[in-house]
Amino acid sequence: MTPMGFGARAGHLLLIALLAVIFGGLALAVLSLPSESPGLSAQVEAAMGETGVTHPVTAVLLDFRGYDTLLELVVLLLALAGVWSLAEGSPFADRRPGTMLDRLSRFYAPLMLLVAGYLLWAGSASPGGAFQAGAVLGAAGVVLTLTGWRLPVALAGWPLRLILVSGVSIFILVGLVAFFFGAVWLDYPLEWAGALILLIEAIASLAIGATLAALFLGGRPEAHP
Amino acid sequence: MDTAVWLQSGLTAPILLPLTGALLAFVMRRRATPIGLLSVVALLGAVILQVPSLFADGPQRLAIGGWGAPLGVDLYADGLSVAMLLMTAVVGLGISLYAAAYFRDTPARGQAFWPLWLLLLTALNALFLSADIFNLYVTLEILGLSAVALTAIAGGADALVGAMRYLLVSLLGSLAYLLGVALLYHAYGTVDIALLAERIAAEPATWAAMGLMSAGLMLKTALFPLHFWLPPAHASAAAPVSAALSALVVKGSFYLLVRLWIELFGEIAGGVATLLGLLGAAAVLWGSIQALIQTRLKLLIAYSTVAQIGYLFLAFPLAVGTGATAWSGALYLALSHALAKTAMFLVAGNLLRFGGHDRIADLDRVVQRLPLSMAAFALAGVSIMGLPPSGGFIGKWLLLEAALTEGRWGWAIVIILGGVLAATYVFKVVGYAFTQSENPHQAQPVPATMEWVAFALAVAAVLMGLIVSQPLIVLEIGNPFGIQAEVAVQ
Repeated sequence: MTPMGFGARAGHLLLIALLAVIFGGLALAVLSLPSESPGLSAQVEAAMGETGVTHPVTAVLLDFRGYDTLLELVVLLLALAGVWSLAEGSPFADRRPGTMLDRLSRFYAPLMLLVAGYLLWAGSASPGGAFQAGAVLGAAGVVLTLTGWRLPVALAGWPLRLILVSGVSIFILVGLVAFFFGAVWLDYPLEWAGALILLIEAIASLAIGATLAALFLGGRPEAHP
Repeated sequence: MDTAVWLQSGLTAPILLPLTGALLAFVMRRRATPIGLLSVVALLGAVILQVPSLFADGPQRLAIGGWGAPLGVDLYADGLSVAMLLMTAVVGLGISLYAAAYFRDTPARGQAFWPLWLLLLTALNALFLSADIFNLYVTLEILGLSAVALTAIAGGADALVGAMRYLLVSLLGSLAYLLGVALLYHAYGTVDIALLAERIAAEPATWAAMGLMSAGLMLKTALFPLHFWLPPAHASAAAPVSAALSALVVKGSFYLLVRLWIELFGEIAGGVATLLGLLGAAAVLWGSIQALIQTRLKLLIAYSTVAQIGYLFLAFPLAVGTGATAWSGALYLALSHALAKTAMFLVAGNLLRFGGHDRIADLDRVVQRLPLSMAAFALAGVSIMGLPPSGGFIGKWLLLEAALTEGRWGWAIVIILGGVLAATYVFKVVGYAFTQSENPHQAQPVPATMEWVAFALAVAAVLMGLIVSQPLIVLEIGNPFGIQAEVAVQ
């Protein structure tokens, strides 16, 4: 470690003192809060009947605050667009996996698809849903990438990009369905709400999975097939 | 379907148009430029269409998904929101036209630029329209990430280091803001600004939330002394990106701070308003002096942004007692600064393209070779200095009026001194543009579009000083500055 000058050391002490004060203040503020938050659980519970799903988390994510979730999907897509703007092509060289990895991944990958499908379906009634299913799909993509599997060149261009934007796109389009029923954007008609939410979740999980796997790959696969 | 729903649904257009454009530009990379230009033209049209209904029916509220606060997310547009949307659409169109020419020789960068740029516009518009502090957090995330990615497009060590630092700062600011949102939600059980305004009380959780959210937004707005990240990021980015960062992105977090301040924190803030004003005053002086000693044009313009942001924060203490005058002044300044600063950064881009460098001392009689660009720089400079007639003059005049009616001479002196310093650094550039350099250089052609766009925006900044009453009327539709409350208190 290099010896610090007096100024640097004083600066460090000052920084520590400042952080301690901020921490103390925040701790006091948190302690001052009532332990029972007024929250919105009761209102969510009361409105569940108008959502078309039975799990409150899914109702909040896809219905009450669906607009937030749409923008979160945009964040994910934006992260990938940002990475692609930096890196041209994938830095992964082809490698041959060992026998063990090769066999196991052949076994795991279909299983992970199945798990993703289940998580997606379960989301309407219990914890689960598009983000969880998408994460498992993304992990399946990572495992396949690590064992040397590559997206066919024919699919690596616009078809892949279409899948990547499909989550946000279907959300916007389903939201527009409301116009035919004289309602505002993202207001699903009650008799269709359950089915529409499942449609959004199914396509969104595919898009999320593809985005996560593509983020792992690093660059645009099309640039260096 | 009845017309009221149609009109309300129009509020989603400024968000959905650039978002759809971004998705299309992402998928159809080769068509990214025409898609981007079309989206931005459509956006400007959609925003202009909002103005008549704003005049006729006052502020608009739209409950997305039909739920309404507190369960759902509401969009809300009053005069302040629409003024910011108009600023974004006009400056956005200028930057888009410029970028189409700028990236013509580097198609790969252009293809990366368009989706990110359209998402940045989406985030800004969503921010200006949101009435929900959690939803605002998501818009801040999209805004920060797209701005960072756009900074990095320029490539090279400077831009990447600047972008990395920008990313870390932006994340820290977002997280501080989010922690404040969590505290407010726990204490008051809602994230809707209007409902929070009814329930908020002076207690430790509110103070902590105010501190966290204000600090996070000050960091993102680059208020002195939290401005350290701005000059490297804004100066190293590609010209259209520099313009977008300085003109629009910092205004997003400033707008949000003003909103929160007026709706939630103003009543309980006490001396914090004076602190913000003092930091603003320090920013005006420090930023101007730093701008004066820079040897590179883009850094000079970036430090000028630090100084101009300082002006915006003078409104916080001045609004106590004078209310609308100070806020109108600061926002008028923000709008005209957006036009003028875009023009300046685009001119800097033209000079960089022309001479291959932006060393101020080697500008080498550029006024004879790029007269249109230098005219644009000088006109934009008029607005930055605050000389009449220009938007900058009106903004500073209103701030000055707010300071003088209350006899606060200290603030008035800062406002005038900042203008004098701005004149000094603008004339320094213009002076070198007339003199012959010792190092002559090979000149590259600059596309005419790039010159004309910069000129048009600079002219618009000056016009803001001639057409004053209409923008001011728009700004005050729906009483965004809470004047009724002031009268009641008096």
